[in-house]
Amino acid sequence: MSSRKKVLLKVIILGDSGVGKTSLMNQYVNKKFSASYKATIGADFLTKEVLVDDRLVTMQIWDTAGQERFQSLGVAFYRGADCCVLVYDVNNQKSFETLDSWRDEFLIQASPRDADSFPFVVIGNKIDVDDGKRQVHQKRAMAFCQGKGNLPYFETSAKEAINVEQAFEVIARHALAQEEAEEYTGDFGSSTIVDIGADSENDGCGC
Amino acid sequence: MPDEYTPPASPTASFYDLSEDDEDYSTITHTSTGRGVKLLYTKSKVYVHPTPSAKDNIPGFIALMQQKPPSSSSNTTSSSTPSPSNLLLAWLPESAIGTAYDTYVKVDLLDTSTPPKQTYLVPPPPISSGSSPLGSYSFSIPVSQIYSLLVRPPSLGWWWGSIVINSRSGDSFPALFFHDSECASTIAQSRARTQKNFDPFGESGELFWGGDEVLRWLKRFVKVERSEIEKTVYLVDPSKDDLLSFGQRPVIDSTAGKDKSRGEGSSSDNNIAAAVMDPFTKAIKSARWTLLEQFAKVTQFSRQTANNFLDNPNLPPQVRKLLKNPDVISLQDDFDSARLYLARWAMGIAEQSEKERAKIVWKREDMMEMEDSAVGEFEILDVEAGNIAGSGDRRKIVEMKEWNSWWNKSTGRLEITVDEVKERLFHGGCDTAVRKEAWLFLLEVYPWDSSKDERAALMNSKRDEYVRLKGKWWDDVSRREGQGEAGEYWRDQKNRIEKDVHRTDRNIPIFAGEDTPHPDPDSQYSTIGTNVHLEQMKDMLLTYNEYNTTLGYVQGMSDLLAPIYAVFQDDAVAFWAFVGFMERMERNFLRDQSGMRAQLVTLDQLVQLMDPVLWKHLEKAESTNFFFFFRMILVWYKREFEWNDVLRLWEGLWTNYLSGQFHLFVALAVLERHRAVIMDHLQHFDEVLKYINELSGTIELNSTLIRAEALFYKFQRTIEASDRKHGFPSPGTTRPMVRLTHRRTDSSTATTATSNTANSTGTSTSSSAAANKGKAVDKGDGPEITEQLRGLLARDFVRVEKKEGEEGKGKTPARE
Repeated sequence: MSSRKKVLLKVIILGDSGVGKTSLMNQYVNKKFSASYKATIGADFLTKEVLVDDRLVTMQIWDTAGQERFQSLGVAFYRGADCCVLVYDVNNQKSFETLDSWRDEFLIQASPRDADSFPFVVIGNKIDVDDGKRQVHQKRAMAFCQGKGNLPYFETSAKEAINVEQAFEVIARHALAQEEAEEYTGDFGSSTIVDIGADSENDGCGC
Repeated sequence: MPDEYTPPASPTASFYDLSEDDEDYSTITHTSTGRGVKLLYTKSKVYVHPTPSAKDNIPGFIALMQQKPPSSSSNTTSSSTPSPSNLLLAWLPESAIGTAYDTYVKVDLLDTSTPPKQTYLVPPPPISSGSSPLGSYSFSIPVSQIYSLLVRPPSLGWWWGSIVINSRSGDSFPALFFHDSECASTIAQSRARTQKNFDPFGESGELFWGGDEVLRWLKRFVKVERSEIEKTVYLVDPSKDDLLSFGQRPVIDSTAGKDKSRGEGSSSDNNIAAAVMDPFTKAIKSARWTLLEQFAKVTQFSRQTANNFLDNPNLPPQVRKLLKNPDVISLQDDFDSARLYLARWAMGIAEQSEKERAKIVWKREDMMEMEDSAVGEFEILDVEAGNIAGSGDRRKIVEMKEWNSWWNKSTGRLEITVDEVKERLFHGGCDTAVRKEAWLFLLEVYPWDSSKDERAALMNSKRDEYVRLKGKWWDDVSRREGQGEAGEYWRDQKNRIEKDVHRTDRNIPIFAGEDTPHPDPDSQYSTIGTNVHLEQMKDMLLTYNEYNTTLGYVQGMSDLLAPIYAVFQDDAVAFWAFVGFMERMERNFLRDQSGMRAQLVTLDQLVQLMDPVLWKHLEKAESTNFFFFFRMILVWYKREFEWNDVLRLWEGLWTNYLSGQFHLFVALAVLERHRAVIMDHLQHFDEVLKYINELSGTIELNSTLIRAEALFYKFQRTIEASDRKHGFPSPGTTRPMVRLTHRRTDSSTATTATSNTANSTGTSTSSSAAANKGKAVDKGDGPEITEQLRGLLARDFVRVEKKEGEEGKGKTPARE
């Protein structure tokens, strides 16, 4: 029974510094939010086991430093990615405007087999902040996503756990499709890493 | 129900040594009139952990007591076989026991294999039937009211075993953690077992622990059944229905129990949960949760991994025994490989057992039979490290008195050599008061050969200069309003800095407050508030951009500034100290990352030279980019150590006492400490990265520094040996003498010779460094010593070469 092959889906989260990448990942994996995350230095990942259409898969979600200056190191962990999540802060115009360059940078460094079909998902985070501060309208974001080939778009609050689960469900689905497509075309590059067994049940009640 | 336990008047000596027939003890329902209850069994050092922090743990006693039956039934109950309703299971904090403490200790140490021959009376415990924690967490419950116990033995990654008591009304009491290594009776019982039949395992085949005894007490008086579904659940006097719900059915075997532990919310979980009687769903759930946690942490490793693991001679004997336990073996078969968790767990146990050993040896040397076999398990290096560590007062913290004794009272000039000062600071570190002075020398704000007056004059002009630099942006209204390209750049920098300062070291008291209104109503922090120290930090970082006009703010810089500011709490002084630190750290933040790459390449070569076997393993794991040391190198372990350790580490590194890049030896020391685990269990880049990232907060600083020092000397010897072989003496060959005698200033000729080499290994040659990668060692005639490696002998740090980047050009750096 230990020979059953597990599917590992590698997901990379990108976006400007301070848009909430670490918070989104922690909200999804650990169901926790903290106002006091430090700026991410280097890279780290969390894993979570999820069922996608009755298939048990392990998502390995990579959180990265948001400052552009550190991007040249990305190649170390972009390789073998199955999905890329682009995050911006709906209250920060500039973080939206840089999405394009984050996408380009990813495609250059990860160099997926077929750049046009590689799955991206866009997330506008921090929708819990009051409306007066919002700088990027939903319509505008959706237009952007449409223009990039109908990228799935979610508006989330990592702080209040709004839409996070839904967004990652779609991310998992796209990542799995990508992984299967890659495997079909003969790229086994990233599917063999063993399960590192994240505890996905930690929302149960403690004693 | 009493809110707090107040011990009744202390029992007199006549309470002790009473005969078995004595009935003069009270029922708990009218405590004020009674004389006490019989203490049948107790166990010391049972803790409540109210918070995750160990310092909040409350030590206490778990006790089984017998109270006088209520008058209506007193005639029918004999004292030798008390009914469960007259038995109380209680937990009392040591602090609430008062004068009865001696009695508890006495009963704890009784041989419990036979019922107590004497009666020991103690004040009755406070009674409580609900789960609302009393002021002191103390509680007691009639045994007849106990529904179940959730029992978590101390194996499998949980160092302390625990018991949770669930009442029939559906409440749970706080988890009780058995600190067996502190509990005299458990130690004695465990030893007795070991000596009697060489079997340290309890009845269930698991390692013996304090909780086993509690189960044994209860089994004397009531029926205690272990649930078949949930091995951690013990039912007390269960009804037939209870037994059914908890899976005393042949169809559900132990495999089912294990299966669902990996079932991540699969439907079988729900079925089982649904089959359970409602009031007990909670109990079941929490048992499952703990079970899952154990499994997720430990058990998902393959048989093969476990075998390799077992063969590892470094493994503490406790772990080896545990892994031979049949339960654990069957788990190994059932779960997929998760080397990472196993590795972390093994390391945790090894470290814990080291601590335990130290404690035990010190207290009673004959305690455990495993002692001897485990001595000297970590490399020969440790012998050397031990020699380094054991040298007297070298590692004593430098206090004001010692510091002052080095300086001339009237002139304020240094009266010993700089090398001597550095030696002391490198080995001992200094206390807070000394830091305010010493750091200014270490960070090159003050020259070592200056007089008191010269320093005062220097600081005055530095203060003026800081005001001038700050004025450059502060008074530039058009920039601050964001006009033009310069304005746009400045606003962007301000936002970056603000974002990071508000998330830098906010757990440190001076940075924690949010009591000041934010000066800028447009800021995203305007609704939260700020404090004067955060504002100073922001101003200093903005001002640094005026001083160093080409770098721009980069993430990590706020991490470097915070400790310096916190020590000085004076913006101008801290600013110049920060400038000194950045001289050294600037290469970490360059736009092309060449400085970081150069250091990772150097570390790569260092590992190749010092530990080729480990390096080969890392190469196989595609990890020789050493990216997993990126964070440690970028901000000098700021995220890995506690605040005070960071201060201590940095001041040691600032001395350049052994090497201007001693931080790379610290990296090597961390790697070597975890060598066995990495070699045995980590086979991919992501596993290595995760493992190293999660060392954060677990690394012991002092032993790491000692190990790093030992590694440095070993490195130095290796280079010297290689140079002798190749017939040319390195400039460094005379240097051990320099260090051991401490009689030369650090501007000795030897240092100059090597530091020149070091400077050329910096950013400018990083591309050739990358090209050299992979051929640094072993070509049959000994290792090839690269420029980068030789540079590690230099006692100066690597500076970024400035072409024209002097301050005051006023040009806007290129946008990123």
